[in-house]
Amino acid sequence: MWNELLYAFDAVATLPNFLAMFAGIWAGVIIGAIPGMTGTMAVTLALPFTFYLPPVTSILLLVALYKGSTYGGSISAILIKTPGTASAACTVLDGYPLARAGKGGKALNMALISSCIGDFISNISLFFLAIPLAAFALRIGPPEFFMLMAFSLTIVASISGRSLVLGILSACFGLLLATVGEDIYGSYRFALSEDMKSGLGMVPVLIGLFALPELIKIIVFRPEDNTQALKLGDNRLTLSEFRGSLKSICRGSLIGVILGAIPGIGPSTAAFFSYSEARRTSKNGDKFGEGELEGVAASESANNGACGATMIPLMALGVPGDVITGVMLGAFMIHGLTPGPLLFQNNIGEVYALFIGILFSSVFLFIAGKITANAFTKISRIPQTLLLPCILILCVYGIYSIGASPFDVTVLLVMGVVGFIMMLLNIPAAPFLIAFILGPMFEDNMRRSLAISRGDLGVFFQSWISWGFFILTVLFVTLTIRREWKKWREKRAAATASAS
Amino acid sequence: MNQNRDFYAGLVGTLFFAIILFILIPIYVKVPSFIPGFAPPPDMWPRVVAIIGLVMGITAVGLAFPKMREASRNQVTSLGSRICSHKTLIIRFVGVVAVFAAFVFGMPFVGFVPATILLLAVLFMMTGNFERKFWMIGLSVIFPVLLYLLFTEVTHTPFPEGSLFF
Repeated sequence: MWNELLYAFDAVATLPNFLAMFAGIWAGVIIGAIPGMTGTMAVTLALPFTFYLPPVTSILLLVALYKGSTYGGSISAILIKTPGTASAACTVLDGYPLARAGKGGKALNMALISSCIGDFISNISLFFLAIPLAAFALRIGPPEFFMLMAFSLTIVASISGRSLVLGILSACFGLLLATVGEDIYGSYRFALSEDMKSGLGMVPVLIGLFALPELIKIIVFRPEDNTQALKLGDNRLTLSEFRGSLKSICRGSLIGVILGAIPGIGPSTAAFFSYSEARRTSKNGDKFGEGELEGVAASESANNGACGATMIPLMALGVPGDVITGVMLGAFMIHGLTPGPLLFQNNIGEVYALFIGILFSSVFLFIAGKITANAFTKISRIPQTLLLPCILILCVYGIYSIGASPFDVTVLLVMGVVGFIMMLLNIPAAPFLIAFILGPMFEDNMRRSLAISRGDLGVFFQSWISWGFFILTVLFVTLTIRREWKKWREKRAAATASAS
Repeated sequence: MNQNRDFYAGLVGTLFFAIILFILIPIYVKVPSFIPGFAPPPDMWPRVVAIIGLVMGITAVGLAFPKMREASRNQVTSLGSRICSHKTLIIRFVGVVAVFAAFVFGMPFVGFVPATILLLAVLFMMTGNFERKFWMIGLSVIFPVLLYLLFTEVTHTPFPEGSLFF
C-alpha cells in the first residue's frame, strides 16, 4: 500500500495537476460568489475541457470547482446577503448581521478557515473511511431519511426568534411552496400556470427572499445611512474567537462528512443540521441569528465537509449523491474509470492519486479563498443605494441563465416582495428557508415509506437509526415546549408584579 | 407596535392558509382516480401543512388580541389609520411592485438587455439619492451590458431579444 501511495504522490505532484486544482478552485470561488451561478453550472461547463486532460487531472479539476463554488457562496452571503449557492443560505443568518456590524472581515475569515478545516476532515475521511461510510449510507432508506428530516425540521423552533408561532407559520409557508409542481407520482400540485408545473426553483426563491427585501426597504423607507458603505472593521480573527468556534467547526465537519456520504442529502441540509446543533449546544445560542461567528463556522464547516464526502458513495458504490456528482460520474466514465467496488481493484493507482490530490485541495482552497475574499471585500465600500440595485440586476441575469426561463425571474421578484412583507410583519424568514429546502425530502420519503409498507406506520420504527432520530426529535420538541412554557410563566409573573 | 404586527401577521397567515385549504387545494391539487399500492394521495401533505398553518395563524391572532386590548388605545391603531399615516411609504411600495410587474410583462417586448437597463435606471431613481448621478447613469448602461457579455460568452445563455425590435 505504501509503495502505491508513494507512486501516486509522485504522479499527482506535478505542475499541470497543481495548476488544474488551483485554477479550478479559484474559478469555483468566483462562480460561487456570483448569485445565480452554481457549482453544478461550473462543473458542467468545465466538463468538455476535461476531454483533453489526463483522467486524474480532469477529476481533480472538477472536484476543485465543486469545492471552490461551495465556499464561494459564503462570500456573497456575508457581504451582500445573497447566498451565491443554496448551501450558503444558512451562512446568511449570521454572516450578514456580522457584516452590518462592521465585522464582515472576521466573518469572511471564519468562513474560510472553517471551510478549509471541514474540507480537510472530509478529505481525510474519504481517504480512510470511504468503504465503511458507504456501507453505512446504504442502510439509510426512506424511513430513516424521513426521521432524519423530521429531526432537522425541529431546528425551526430555535431559529424562530421572538415568536415560535410565527416561526412555525413561516415554516408552513415554506413547506407549502415546496409542494408546487410535479410530485413523485407525477401529479401536479398548485400548477396555476404551465411554468409552475416544474415547481419553484430553489435559487430564485432563496435569493428573492433574502436579497431583494433589503433593496425594497431602501426604496420604501429611504434610511439616512443608505448612502454609507458597510464598514468592514477589524478583519483579523483572534485566537480566542477561533477557539470559541472550534467545537462547532469539528462537529460541523463530522456532520458534513456523515450526511454528505448519504446519497441525496447534500451540503445544504448538512449546513442547517450543523447550525442547529451549534445553536443548541453553544453558550451563545441565544445570539445566533444576530451575528455570531460560531454560526458562520458551523454552517461553513458542514457544507464544505459534505463536499468531499459526496465522493464517497460515488467512488465506493458508483452512486452519485447529487447533480454535481452525477456530472462527475460522467467524467469518470469518459476517462475509462468505472466508479464502484471494482474501481478500487482495477484502478487503485488512479484512486490513490485522486485521494492525494484532493488532500492538496484544502491548501489551495485557503490560498484562493484568501485572495478572492480580499478582492470581494471592496464591494462593501460601495454605497448601498448603488450596490443593491446592481445586485438585483446581477441576480436577474444569473437566475435567467440557470434555466433560460423568464418564470424564474418572476419568482425572484415575487419572492422579494413576499420577503419584504414578511419583514414588515416580523415573520422570520429563516424557518421558511429551512422548510423550503427540507420539505420535498421530508414529504417524498414519507410517501415512499408509506407506499413500501402499504400504509403501515410501523415502517418508521424498524431500524435503530430511525429510533435514534425519533428519540432525538421527541427530546428536542419536549425541551422546546418546556422552554416556551417557562418563558410564558416568567412573562406572566413579571406582568403581575408590575401590575401590583 | 409589536402587538399590532403579530395581529396582522396572524391575520395574513390565517387568510392565506384558509384560501389554500378551502379554495386552491380542491381546485389545483387533483387526486388521481387510481393510486398504486397504499401511497398517500398528492393532496395529503399540502392539506396537513395548510391545516397547521391555519391553526398557527389563528393562534397568532388569539395571542396578540389580549395584548392589544391591554395596550393603550393610542398604540392599537386600525389598519385604515395606519395606511393613511404611511401614505408615502405605501405609494413607494406600490411603485416598486409596479416596476417589477412592468419588467416582467414588458421584457418580452423590449428585450432582456434594454429591460434590465431601464429597470436599473428606475431603481436608482427610486432610491431617492442623486448624489452620484454620473455613476448611476454609467452603471445603468454599462453594468447590464457587461453582464450580458459575460453570460452570453461564458454560459452561452440565449437572452430574449424583444418582439418589438426583431
